[in-house]
Amino acid sequence: MNSSPSTSPKSAPHLHIPVEHATLANGLRVVVSPDHSAPVVTVGVYYQIGFRLEPRGRSGFAHLFEHMMFQGSENAGKMEHIRLINSSGGLLNGTTNYDITNYFESVPSNALERVLWLEADRMRALKVDDENLRNQRDVVKEEVRVNVMNQPYGGFPWLDLPPVAFRNWPNAHNFYGDFADLDAATLGDVQQFFRTYYAPNNAVLLIVGDADPAEAFAFAKRYFEGIPPGAAPPRADITEPPQTEERHGKVEERLGPLPAIAIGYTLPPRESEDWFAMGLVDRILHGGRAGRVYRKLVLEEQIAVEASGGADLIDTNGPTQMVTQIVHKPEFTSEGTVAVFDEIIEELQRKGVSPEELEPVKVKFRSDFYSMLETGMGSHMPRFGLMHYLACFTLYDGDPGRINTILDGFLGVTPERVQAAAKKYLVPQNRAVLVRRPVNLPPPVNPHVSVGNGGAR
Amino acid sequence: MTSSATSVSHRSAAPALAPERPVAWPKRTTRVLANGLEVVLAEARTFPRISANLYFRSGNALIAHRTPGLADMTATVVRTGTASRPSRQIEEDLRRMGASLGTHAGADSSSIAAAGLAESSAGILELIADLARNASFPEEEFERERRQRFEELRIERTTPGFLAGERFRRVLFGKHPYAVVAPTEDQVAAYTRNELVEFYRHHYVPGGSLLIVVGDFAAEAMLEKIEKIFGDWKAPQPEPPRSPEPPRQSGRRVHLVGMSGNVQTQVMVGNLAITRRDPDWYRMVLANSIYGGAFHSRLVMNIREQKGYTYSPRSGINPLRQHGYFSISAAVRNEVVAATLTEIFYEMDRMRSVAVPAEELDSARNYLTGVFSLGVATQEGLLGQLSTVYLDQLPEGYLESYRERIRALSAEDVLEAARRHFDSANAQIVVVGDREQIIDQAALFGPVTEYDASGKIVAPRPLDVMQA
Repeated sequence: MNSSPSTSPKSAPHLHIPVEHATLANGLRVVVSPDHSAPVVTVGVYYQIGFRLEPRGRSGFAHLFEHMMFQGSENAGKMEHIRLINSSGGLLNGTTNYDITNYFESVPSNALERVLWLEADRMRALKVDDENLRNQRDVVKEEVRVNVMNQPYGGFPWLDLPPVAFRNWPNAHNFYGDFADLDAATLGDVQQFFRTYYAPNNAVLLIVGDADPAEAFAFAKRYFEGIPPGAAPPRADITEPPQTEERHGKVEERLGPLPAIAIGYTLPPRESEDWFAMGLVDRILHGGRAGRVYRKLVLEEQIAVEASGGADLIDTNGPTQMVTQIVHKPEFTSEGTVAVFDEIIEELQRKGVSPEELEPVKVKFRSDFYSMLETGMGSHMPRFGLMHYLACFTLYDGDPGRINTILDGFLGVTPERVQAAAKKYLVPQNRAVLVRRPVNLPPPVNPHVSVGNGGAR
Repeated sequence: MTSSATSVSHRSAAPALAPERPVAWPKRTTRVLANGLEVVLAEARTFPRISANLYFRSGNALIAHRTPGLADMTATVVRTGTASRPSRQIEEDLRRMGASLGTHAGADSSSIAAAGLAESSAGILELIADLARNASFPEEEFERERRQRFEELRIERTTPGFLAGERFRRVLFGKHPYAVVAPTEDQVAAYTRNELVEFYRHHYVPGGSLLIVVGDFAAEAMLEKIEKIFGDWKAPQPEPPRSPEPPRQSGRRVHLVGMSGNVQTQVMVGNLAITRRDPDWYRMVLANSIYGGAFHSRLVMNIREQKGYTYSPRSGINPLRQHGYFSISAAVRNEVVAATLTEIFYEMDRMRSVAVPAEELDSARNYLTGVFSLGVATQEGLLGQLSTVYLDQLPEGYLESYRERIRALSAEDVLEAARRHFDSANAQIVVVGDREQIIDQAALFGPVTEYDASGKIVAPRPLDVMQA
């Protein structure tokens, strides 16, 4: 990676990641970022269809469909796709997210052409049957059981909070899907969904690593350009009606012994001034053990055993929240815990943040950003994070080059803007509070915490 | 019925692989300091960061016979204060250096690991040294962490995967300290600050320990820094203890951990196997990869892609320092526990009896050599590989020759490894789930012992009740 920092007037280092991009005749966007430090390449195809955009009444379909993309295409039948990647020395996976579904593989660079052929084949002609669908429906149900139903705190808070926080179905439904909806899916639905959303003009192809850009673009043209474009897919209306009250929800915890709380604040629009400021607010509150939330709730007051949080900033393109998650000791009430959390918020609004606190937060922000670019999926897929961000910048902002400048927006946030954003967004009528309460929890016996104003009711 | 999205045919075949590019091994520098600390440096200038891990060759196994989990608790409290830095200072110093810190103990080692901006290399190493040499174990931090561990344990005891792994290790290792993966709540309540300090004093020492630094730096300058920061550290090296042998198993047995109301059953199967130092290691790596260690492995294709019993089946070879074990795990719906076990054993027996076809063998070798290249292409991945080599004291050239060693293996090698180390006849079976729904299925595979989530044996109930 050509990323040696150069010193700018403000001494904020700049990234110089090489990025080349082009759009094929059929509308497929192609982004190449060469890096010859190791003989490996990471390839991704990102389709602009996520679980929030799936059709109403078909909860879980975007994710079920993602599984179907591994079930066979015209020239690579079931198991053939996986076998060809693995036997080329590569790893592969796919994930379904709010606004995108992605398919990606990391391989030794001598397999680049083969990987592109495979991705093009399933973009051109998915070829699956009823048996594949039944099989993957079963697999998805076991996925939901192992990750949600049979796991303490399973799905907390990513499945629990949106139905409380949001009112518009695309943002507020069960993203993994109700089993009845999964059962209702037919092969016709699968092919309809494929035709609607999996056209080349609704996707971006990423090639990151040991690839010669001229050759990579030539391969892209050879294998993808003949795929006919589709009609522009319908865009679900994902806007939220204005929120005027604090929102509350309760969920039962069947297995775990401790109460858990999630508090979400809806973020300002992508890449607005306040959006960058909230990126820093998030790190001031949640940046590990030095963050204010962990320090107060876990270290000082010792109410919680776990307190962390984060905001999906670059990854999302619609209503999304900064979420704090807290697991607290049973002798405290959830109301009292939220009241102490509120003291942290009120202090930030009242006193703001000193430059002495903000500067190190920015240093950590920059370091974490580099780390994300290099791995981002454990250490197994080199430059996965770089590929992921390039995809988001291309699909949401139309400019993969944002990868080299996005940090400037965060590092330029002033203490004044932090305080202003905290006052504007960290308010009850912009938040949702969810309590996940164990079914067998005895009532708190020793509530050290007084229940103050502003706590959850 | 097959449905295709387009009617136009585009028949074509997968392009052949291009000529392979060689792996460029990062520049590596090794040195043993006068105090016995072994230093390994690898330059990897991918991003302007470094990762530094300091390992001590003493972990939870060392103390499991007396105080289970003590090494882990010691590591946890190490980061909460030194003679000159209170807890809050440590956390703020980390942030200032763009760094994160982890202090952990496994069965065989304890570690202090930090990663951050290359421009703060010296500060990051100084912090690691401070934690390794001057931890102060503040009483109130110890009490807080102890309570936290206590609550974490309560959560772990409701997690099917944790309970399966815990029971499996108990069964496989018997009186050997590897049997214990976590302390009980009572044991945590009985920890004293003094025990932590004693463990720290005896085992956080330079002799026999290992410092690995990977990232954006020049080795000579980095070595100088390390000499300066760690060179004057002196402490005696502890004697490695001897452990009792794990038990020999005869026949399959079933160990059922009951969790009523569970909608899925966690299955675990396996046996004692080998460490990385065993001559069969590479053979075993390949056999495991074909059996259940990759997406395109037999077990995944069988019980996931053909039968849909489970989302994430896998097999693994788990090399601890003294012993290794082979394990298979899958979370399956309750109705197919017996069917899953049948397939697990069918695939094990097939590996033991029929030579792997040439094409499948070739695929698996390519998979392992390719994934190995991916694994050393990032700072974190490289650090992980180096720590394996140096902690296990593997032969010089292990990394550089790994791919050649894998490529040289034959179908006969795989068959031998499976026959020796896939102990189908004496495999131990753990199932965690709703007793009423799974006990008769599990009982088809061997005599059943039942446990509750705390690990206590549950008195067997009469058969007629069970089958009512």
